[in-house]
Amino acid sequence: MDHVTSTSLERSAPVVNRPNTVAVGTIVWLGSEVMFFAGLFAIYFTLRSMSPELWAGEAGLLNVPWAFTITVVLVLSSVTMQFGVFAAERLQPRATGWKPTQWGMVEWFFASFALGAIFVAGQTYEYAVLVSEHVTLSSSAYGSAFYITTGFHGLHVLGGLIAMLLVIGRAYSAKRFGHKEATSAIVVSYYWHFVDVVWIGLFIVIYFLK
Amino acid sequence: MKTNIGLFWILAVFFVLADAAYTVWSLIDHGSVEWTGTLGIGLAGVLSAFIAFYVNLSYKAQGGELPEDRLDAAIDDGEPEQGFFSPWSWWPLALGSGAAVCFLALAVGIWLLFIGVAFTVVALVGWTYEYQRGNFGH
Repeated sequence: MDHVTSTSLERSAPVVNRPNTVAVGTIVWLGSEVMFFAGLFAIYFTLRSMSPELWAGEAGLLNVPWAFTITVVLVLSSVTMQFGVFAAERLQPRATGWKPTQWGMVEWFFASFALGAIFVAGQTYEYAVLVSEHVTLSSSAYGSAFYITTGFHGLHVLGGLIAMLLVIGRAYSAKRFGHKEATSAIVVSYYWHFVDVVWIGLFIVIYFLK
Repeated sequence: MKTNIGLFWILAVFFVLADAAYTVWSLIDHGSVEWTGTLGIGLAGVLSAFIAFYVNLSYKAQGGELPEDRLDAAIDDGEPEQGFFSPWSWWPLALGSGAAVCFLALAVGIWLLFIGVAFTVVALVGWTYEYQRGNFGH
């Protein structure tokens, strides 16, 4: 087309990058999720201040090294997720080689999925052990507070795992991995980091402060 | 956008101050921290600061004022794509019905959950991939 001359059009306003409505909407929704978990933290702290002697007894049953291990796994899943976002921002859905530096979004998301699944499995095992030690949802205020807070968090992790599968599916279904696919990967990462941060809060409150 | 950011920061500061006042007042009046309010008001401050922070990031990344924020902008300056909006879809209704069946199952009997979950999974996948396939395949 180099034999065609073109005129440059004068623009009346500078070109701006309009904020992505999906991303901003996700952040506002995560704000509402902050308040959801505020309610759960409030339940936990109120019950604890009402019956400190119950906490002194029951919290001793927690397996802190185990919980710490699965916490590390969850934090690592956030790291792999972020590398998936970098790949999505390069608009690179699949690996171009075996090295992690060449991985695409799909590979990083599968890695995050595996780590997230290990976390949920580890939490399930922890629940099973605690139930065998007679700490259940209905055994005491401690059991209720413990299972409601960690359980709702676990459901959020499960939701994140499903979302990752849907994002991976979109990467496979699209012939050309574009900004729409990248956006869904990015907003799922926002959600995943949020759930991760909430867990760090829960871990400090439940396992560390006891 | 500058105004939005300012409003959310004002809210954040207000909630932090209100939280401090609430906690101190409850300590003076009852001698103990009232956790529901302390956490609720405090995290409302976190919510405001979180949104203010993110909107500020988006504002910096856009590299200029949006036409709707300029007094001298013309209507057609705001014409470029605003984002993707589905004109209509049956899938949210299907998804909501699936979720309703799941919650009904918690009340009437767990057997209903098998039907509800199956319905929900189909609706969720249908909704997520509505604009990925058929005429919209890309």
